[in-house]
Amino acid sequence: MVLSGQKLSLTLGHLYPDQLNLYGDRGNILTLRRRCLQRDIDLRVIGLGVGDALAPDEYDMLFIGGGQDKEQEPVAQDLYEMKGIGLWAAIEDDMPVLAVCGGFQLLAHYYRPAEGPNMRGLGVFDAWTEHKGPQSSRCIGNIAIQWNGQTLVGFENHGGRTYLGTAAPLGKVLKGYGNNAEDHSEGAVYRNAYGTYLHGSLLPKNPHFADYLVELALRRKYRDSEPAGEPELFNGTIHSYEKQVDSPSKSDAGKVELSPLLTPLDDTLEWEAHASILERLGLYSEAATVLRTHKS
Amino acid sequence: MRKPKPSQPIAEKLQPAESKLAPQLPTIAPKETTHTPYLQHQQNTVRAGLAVIAGRTAGALSRRFHLGGGTSIVGVVAQRVYPEIIKHLATELEHGSVMITGTNGKTTTSNFIAAILRDGGLRVWRNREGSNLMRGVASSLVIRAQPDGHLRRSGKAISILEVDEAALLQLVQVMQPRVIVITNLFRDQLDRYGEVNSIVAQWKQTITNLPTDTTLVLNADDPTIAQLAASFAGKVLYYGIDDLSLDLLTQQDASERHQAIDTRSCPICGHEYVYDAQFYSHMGHYHCPHCGYTRPQPDVRVTQAHVDSFDRLRIQVDALNQQHELTIPLPGLYNIYNALAAIAAALTLNMAWEPIVTGIEQSKPVFGRGERIQADGKTMRLLLAKNPTGFNEVLRTLFSEKIERDILLVLNDNIADGQDISWIWDVDFERIKGRTRTLVVAGTRALDLALRLKYAGINEKDMTIIPPAPLRAQKNSKSAGIRMKGRNKQKQKVIDAQSSQALQLSEAPSLQLYELKNALDSALAQTPPGETLFVVPTYTGLLEIHHELEQRGLTPHYWEGRDT
Repeated sequence: MVLSGQKLSLTLGHLYPDQLNLYGDRGNILTLRRRCLQRDIDLRVIGLGVGDALAPDEYDMLFIGGGQDKEQEPVAQDLYEMKGIGLWAAIEDDMPVLAVCGGFQLLAHYYRPAEGPNMRGLGVFDAWTEHKGPQSSRCIGNIAIQWNGQTLVGFENHGGRTYLGTAAPLGKVLKGYGNNAEDHSEGAVYRNAYGTYLHGSLLPKNPHFADYLVELALRRKYRDSEPAGEPELFNGTIHSYEKQVDSPSKSDAGKVELSPLLTPLDDTLEWEAHASILERLGLYSEAATVLRTHKS
Repeated sequence: MRKPKPSQPIAEKLQPAESKLAPQLPTIAPKETTHTPYLQHQQNTVRAGLAVIAGRTAGALSRRFHLGGGTSIVGVVAQRVYPEIIKHLATELEHGSVMITGTNGKTTTSNFIAAILRDGGLRVWRNREGSNLMRGVASSLVIRAQPDGHLRRSGKAISILEVDEAALLQLVQVMQPRVIVITNLFRDQLDRYGEVNSIVAQWKQTITNLPTDTTLVLNADDPTIAQLAASFAGKVLYYGIDDLSLDLLTQQDASERHQAIDTRSCPICGHEYVYDAQFYSHMGHYHCPHCGYTRPQPDVRVTQAHVDSFDRLRIQVDALNQQHELTIPLPGLYNIYNALAAIAAALTLNMAWEPIVTGIEQSKPVFGRGERIQADGKTMRLLLAKNPTGFNEVLRTLFSEKIERDILLVLNDNIADGQDISWIWDVDFERIKGRTRTLVVAGTRALDLALRLKYAGINEKDMTIIPPAPLRAQKNSKSAGIRMKGRNKQKQKVIDAQSSQALQLSEAPSLQLYELKNALDSALAQTPPGETLFVVPTYTGLLEIHHELEQRGLTPHYWEGRDT
């Protein structure tokens, strides 16, 4: 039972911070840290390196970034051997997981590099990645996708092409390459695990997505111990509330349509940066929509 | 043929190399001359002559009609007419060529080497900054060639070529350098090159096929660079830092220790290597506990370094077991490496110690590496920062003293900058929080950089954001007005604080500012008289700043100021 006025806290497990850190992955961590801090939510970040086991109970959300093929190899093995079971358990238990670039590839079935043997992935996403050889061009450039009725923007840079089996894509490519430059799909989703090629970094310019992940983590952590209902605002402290909201059995539905539980922040700069990428990609009406929706 | 100068400091160690190198000059590819019939060689000279005429004509036309600088087109056209033009002309250089490659420090190192060799009595030819691909090198030779297909004044000539990491392989196939200097390898412009590892693979291939009378000068403190020696059968000279007081690991300031590291897995066996000392980024004394790979003992090394002031570094050098003292007139620890690389290259070319000292000590900061410009009773210093390591080093240099600085940051994402700017999240902007007096953010990705600064804890109100153009959506939307108010307040403060220069800004006080020239004006206006504005741009940002300053008559035309 969570007491009224208790300070909220979350623990973020950052997988392989020393090996998979190629594409500004630190920006994602900084963003989660700051956005929690501003709401007085205590976010602890714990780095999980090669050789460390992953105990799912100790974390509320997980992040895994991208690296070069050479760095990805030992990581793939460690992920499978040391962290596989824990990660699976966490994901099946609806823990929010963000996997970018190389991390995304490692959560699918396998990655076939340009040279060398296949890297085995965890198979969280029913998807696989193939590099069509050193001569094939990389997917490089700014990218915008449609996610959940809104836009996500970022930069992509990957040699491998990812193909989805039964996995649902994160979104539809508006401009850019996406998973494979063929079918307009970008990323993959399984329960609360999100794989994507978007970096740049992803979360700073997509505050709605950052908040969405934080919100998922808060709901997951505090819903279970809060049978009486849900807090009105996750604003660092849980306010007392007069009326009873959703019964516990119905709260699963909350996953699909999240109400804005986090106190809004001044994200003017974030949305301007977001809109400027949309405009660079020629998506002017989307940019206008973003600025209209999020004007301060 | 001119015999290389006898060298005092090198002693016995280089003597065999000298006798080996000397008969190799000029670097004529032997096959070509022995098997080519006389008539064909004549024809080649004629073709080369035609290529020179065509290339130079194209360059002249391009300049005449302002179709660009007219530099690389010279090489492109000449190569089109005669694909072997580089090979043909390069063989005529009496002292051959030196190539410098690596991520950071190419220009400064080339500059040092050029200054040393000039002081040593050679005629130095260089390719222009930024023209470091094949066509740029071709241009640098063609503009010095005559219509008869021969180089002008090739006696005593040596070419110092700054070579793009990805162009080395191609270039070495057409001209054999006497020395190749490889400075370091950082994560730079990955979107252009693919990944760092493919560069290493290319370099290994280049070095394996290199004639053994070429000398390789390698940075011992960069594990990826030092291991290249294993692919080479010829002579290798290492340089490195041995002053352990520069070790980041022993420094108390935590922000000093958090640095972007690109390479951490052992280049031989792939396991993680460990540092006994770390100087900046992944430079340091390292060893791999798994396979035993360890930093080689450098032949040219700094035993002591002392920072006298912002741009005066005093170093003790042990070069091939001889002790010397030297002052580097440039800011930043990375310039110690650049100086060491130049010293090692100069020693390989049998230079005496005097030209080494005078060459380095009298070097002026080159293009964007600390250049000083005076404007309106204020000083501007231009400090290029094109990748996280370079940026961190610039910030470390600027904020190591407890002085509040006036800063203009310019972040562009043009092709020459690298279009992926996610690396800004690896730069430790946290260290500048509360330590800037004024801060202006500009460039094509000004908003991204401002966002990065915001997440570093810098209040939006404490920076002036000046993007190149307004958002189209904002121009048409009333909502933008709310935002502008905040910025105008900031601007008003500036105007109040300043007088004459800021007047033109106040004419339109209700407008948010755009374009780099306004960013420059705003930053200058905010900088108090007598103080220094530090301008930290990416590569094309620097070009734009230079162009703007030239327009105002504040700096001599850059290209004309060099290569003479």
